[in-house]
Amino acid sequence: MNEKGLTGNAVAGVLEEKEQHESYFQLVWQRFKKSKPAIIGGLMIIMLAILAAFSDFFSPTDPLQLDLPASFTPPQRVHFVDSEGKFHLRPFTYLQVVELDPTTYAPQWTEDESQRYPLKFFVKSWEWKLLGLIPTRWHLFGVEEGGTVYLLGSDKFGRDLWSRACRAGRISMTLSLFATFISVSVGSVLGVVSGYYGGWIDTVLQRFVEFVQSFPQLPLWMALAAVIPRTWDSLRIFVIMAIIFALLSWTVLAREVRGKVMAFRETDFILAAKEMGASDLRIIFRHLYPNSLSHIIVILTLTIPQIILTEAFLSFLGIGIQPPLTSWGLLMHDAQNLQTLGTHPWIMSPVVFIIIAVLGFNFLGDGLRDAADPYSIV
Amino acid sequence: MDANDNIILEVKDLKQYFPIHTGFLQRAVGYVRAVDGVSLFIRENEVLGLVGESGCGKTTTGRTILRLYDPTAGEIWYRKGNGERVEISRFSQKEMKPLRREMRMIFQDPFSSLNPRLTVKDIIGEPLAIHGVARGKAMEDRVAELMRAVGLDPAYMRRYPHEFSGGQRQRIGLARTLSLSPRLIVADEPVSALDVSIQAQVLNLLQQLQERLGLTLLFIAHDLSVVEHVSDRIAVMYVGKIVEMAETEEVLRHPLHPYAEALISAVPPADPDIRLDRIVLEGEVASPVHPPAGCIFHPRCRYAENVCSQEEPQLIEAEPDHYVSCHFAAELSLQGIVG
Repeated sequence: MNEKGLTGNAVAGVLEEKEQHESYFQLVWQRFKKSKPAIIGGLMIIMLAILAAFSDFFSPTDPLQLDLPASFTPPQRVHFVDSEGKFHLRPFTYLQVVELDPTTYAPQWTEDESQRYPLKFFVKSWEWKLLGLIPTRWHLFGVEEGGTVYLLGSDKFGRDLWSRACRAGRISMTLSLFATFISVSVGSVLGVVSGYYGGWIDTVLQRFVEFVQSFPQLPLWMALAAVIPRTWDSLRIFVIMAIIFALLSWTVLAREVRGKVMAFRETDFILAAKEMGASDLRIIFRHLYPNSLSHIIVILTLTIPQIILTEAFLSFLGIGIQPPLTSWGLLMHDAQNLQTLGTHPWIMSPVVFIIIAVLGFNFLGDGLRDAADPYSIV
Repeated sequence: MDANDNIILEVKDLKQYFPIHTGFLQRAVGYVRAVDGVSLFIRENEVLGLVGESGCGKTTTGRTILRLYDPTAGEIWYRKGNGERVEISRFSQKEMKPLRREMRMIFQDPFSSLNPRLTVKDIIGEPLAIHGVARGKAMEDRVAELMRAVGLDPAYMRRYPHEFSGGQRQRIGLARTLSLSPRLIVADEPVSALDVSIQAQVLNLLQQLQERLGLTLLFIAHDLSVVEHVSDRIAVMYVGKIVEMAETEEVLRHPLHPYAEALISAVPPADPDIRLDRIVLEGEVASPVHPPAGCIFHPRCRYAENVCSQEEPQLIEAEPDHYVSCHFAAELSLQGIVG
């Protein structure tokens, strides 16, 4: 072959690569990109994930540090214009001072306008460990020693709610991801097996699914959560809680995957695989699973918000995550008391995180549902 | 039908019943007798056309022969490449696996028979992978060779099925069927899902490959004009049974069964000047759940007599190599194709 022929072939090869390697996930991504809500949902999730993963970086104060005099500080305002009407390019906070109302003894928070603390970005303050390994003192923002910046106010023990909500995202999100992972693994495997084999295997599995579904969920959750020994370490409680959440949510997935697989089982390409002499395992994992995958991914993104909500709910009632772990639900635990809620409404602020997470995952799931089947309109 | 007759496949009294389940306990309340006593044989390198109207059990017959179903009764004798005859109707799927290299199938619907998540290379190469014949580069070479053989550009190897037209997809299916160099192919209406213009292309390709590779074909179709084009012999099926089987010309010119006569009269002649009196069958196709007593065709047969509703006719060799199941095969003089 002469040189010309070689280059010609090479060029053809490159063109071919460019034109043809549109894998399944590329097709999904192309369609996903077109859905605005899905992109917004994805960004919401990514934002929360970053806030949670690097929560210490975003926290001006240590979320574990007690500061009893600062108990129930209302959210602090960030000012640009000072009391004399002068505009400052650098935002600042005033020192918050508390006085007890002489008649009701209710704390009254006011801003001491003589003490200005400019907000600084990329400052060094309390020490934390990047990814739990690398010690560092850098933070996104903060004020000088003596001043405070409670963006969302503080809780009963004077801990910064913003910092705590960021950190609580770690547990809330990883717990729901982990629980969803268990739920999806169990549900999809049982669903595929049930749908593919049919017969008595299907009957037994489906009756079992019905049995699990017929449990009243709330009392069962409460009972299971209540029997976890309080002496266990946090990691063990975390894993057990995830398993409890997964326990009752896999059934929906198993049902849906079963339906999908039953529809596929009758298609010619499954028959063709049998006709070639393919083993059951090959048929399940090479033909049935990839074709049900789009469905599984969608259910996955819709199960996560469910578990976030359930976790928040149980923790709010005080039977979910236990201190020293924190979750969004647990942060609102104090809001159970009507009096507390009336005087310190800001302790409900972690609910915004929950709403963002749930909406984000739902938008993402909707977008994925439309994108996951790229062959439907092609 | 003796052994030295070069017979590659012989089916004796094959039955395939499907239970009808109902109620909470899923009890079987009845059976669909999809295949109810089919007997046929195919000689090596020949094309046997299996015709009959929709729902008469042609597809089920083909699938049961390939043991995609477990037959209710009957025998399936297959002569392997080394000349050994085996009865496969009771084989386990494990015992069937080596035979699946030799006995393959072409599917009717080129859209649903290809997994949309696999590339053409993976689809055509899958049988090679399953039987451990070729992997990696060797597999790619074999796939390219097969694609050329069915008239596809091997450059399209990495594309997905949805990027191809119906005719091209059927070629992909054909390449997959040929990948393990089979001896016997059950072609289940391979062109009925295609446009008429594409039908001829695929049929011609199939015929060329059959001659070149020395394949034996069981060609299933509901359209006699397609079957007569490709078949050496024709078997006519009606509600789960073979009613007539003979050489193509013989069946067309000189049918012995009234159902075959009616079927042939429905084929439009090539010459538009020929006026023919088409035989329109009265009544409905017999139900495979409650087949009529005696000859299954008797409620619609215009020659039927008393004996037809009482005694079931057997498939007999009425004339040399011309099999028919009719009580009056010898007496009736039926109309064949005109012109």
